[in-house]
Amino acid sequence: MAETKPTGVIRKLQKMMTDGSISCRELTQRYLSAIEKENPGLNAYIRVTPDIAMETAARVDEKLAKGIPLAPLEGIPMTLKDNISTDGIETTCCSKILAGYTPIYDAFVWKVLKAQNAVLLGKTNMDEFAMGSSSENSCYGGSNNPYNPQYVAGGSSGGVASAVSAHLAAYGLGSDTGGSIRQPASFCGIVGLKPTYGAVSRFGLIAYASSLDQIGPITTTVEDAALVYDAICGADPMDSTCCGGEKVTPSLGGSLEGMRIGVAREYFDGIRQQDVTDALNNAIAAYEKLGARIVPLELPVLQYALPVYYILACAEAASNLGRYDGIRYGYRTSHYRTVDEMICKTRSEGFGPEVKRRILLGNYVLSSGYYDAYYKKAQNLRQNILRALEDTFTQCDVMLAPTVPMTAFPKGFTSQSQVETYLTDICTVPVNIAGLPGISIPCGADKKGLPIGMQLIANRFCEKTLLSAAYGFEQATWQQHIAPAPMGVML
Amino acid sequence: MVTKEEILKIANLSKIYVSEDELESLTHDMAQIIAFADTVNAVSAGTQEFEGISGRSNILREDEVIPSYPREEILKNVGGGEDGYFPVKKKN
Repeated sequence: MAETKPTGVIRKLQKMMTDGSISCRELTQRYLSAIEKENPGLNAYIRVTPDIAMETAARVDEKLAKGIPLAPLEGIPMTLKDNISTDGIETTCCSKILAGYTPIYDAFVWKVLKAQNAVLLGKTNMDEFAMGSSSENSCYGGSNNPYNPQYVAGGSSGGVASAVSAHLAAYGLGSDTGGSIRQPASFCGIVGLKPTYGAVSRFGLIAYASSLDQIGPITTTVEDAALVYDAICGADPMDSTCCGGEKVTPSLGGSLEGMRIGVAREYFDGIRQQDVTDALNNAIAAYEKLGARIVPLELPVLQYALPVYYILACAEAASNLGRYDGIRYGYRTSHYRTVDEMICKTRSEGFGPEVKRRILLGNYVLSSGYYDAYYKKAQNLRQNILRALEDTFTQCDVMLAPTVPMTAFPKGFTSQSQVETYLTDICTVPVNIAGLPGISIPCGADKKGLPIGMQLIANRFCEKTLLSAAYGFEQATWQQHIAPAPMGVML
Repeated sequence: MVTKEEILKIANLSKIYVSEDELESLTHDMAQIIAFADTVNAVSAGTQEFEGISGRSNILREDEVIPSYPREEILKNVGGGEDGYFPVKKKN
């Protein structure tokens, strides 16, 4: 076994800064230059913030000069998905309806990172209001996959994944409502962690579906995901559903001997590529070699997880997006005769087609005569799914599944059929329905050289077990991983 | 099968205009999406009431007064507002 196992980028960069081999300003400048060079081909960043980044870097350099120890994420260049509110920096959810909107407060996650001088390089692309699987529903156009720009970066956090995979940020924060962190991480060959619902505050995350949304890290290694998770998890009185979570970094590196890994056939039934099946079977074999025990599971409830998800997510979205009326912020139509006309024209001109479809579906399932058949039924089935998934954790410690039944889509795929695209979320939505933590980590590449992701799922607030299982796999099998995309800042 | 009339009714409730040109393709898309959502009604499994994800409820705390955001900051998003308010044109 070679000695240079993958270490996290974050610790490596901090070490370089503290031992004087690079200043934070030089490091930041390298990232900004790389963004200038590579971003036109990727469309990962939709707003770069060089002044803020360099000001922060200067503060970090002052601390370094005085020999003051750095906080775990201090001085590390990073990015935020454009639905995370940033005081004084335009935040649009990549929607025309929020054009020009500048928040006057920071999201909880950005407040805690800013307090430790995280270097914000800019805001990254996403599907409008996080509704989509390819980032192509963005008003700025889609983000491309660093492994092949003819393929999408995934979505909805496609910009963050594209930027991190192309080394245009050391890490980023995305949000995951039905797979929006894990799916693009899988497509871009990196790590994406969707924490337990309630582990990380949603304050300042512009809402899509409040009972499903969760913020989490997108990184190149499991160690980095653990470090970022530890920084952002915690109770917040501004989010009444948030009670915080336990720090995970100290427990990484334990043995996987005797760990029970559940494998539910239903997750594998929908896989559409043989090389994805093969990569997952290899991963299962790798876990057995590490001393883990594979436990076969049956989860028939998964067959109705997708329609349940879409009904509930759209119902919540229709209500959450009711606030966009053009009166208080963002876009307002220019010509109108009445207030009602102003609201209708603003919404019709400001929302893109997928957002409109989801608002219509949401209001349809909530409307009189359909509420019981759709919304109520889906809500009750949510309980079935939740109980069934919880019960599996009496038999196993983590579940192993594909993240997506396929590798990255070619550009334009998602515009052909909405329902076809929704079906590709089959492996990611159950975690959101049940509020569980899930992580996608790379486990190989397909024939075209596109990355394949593997998903691990644990019980609520069991991030320690989840990340230990992911870390053990990464450390043992890193040679078989897909090589990093050869671009951006590689130190 | 969802009809054009139903789509127009829901669009009206959603405060979204649908033009004649859009209506045809939107009705087609929505028919597929609603048919997909309808698959929940084929599930024969017995169900229980949804209890929420966390199983926790009514965690009480003392009321606490915290400062509000400054009005002038909020109004910057509409170009400063008028007399401390959000301006909307009067009905013609």
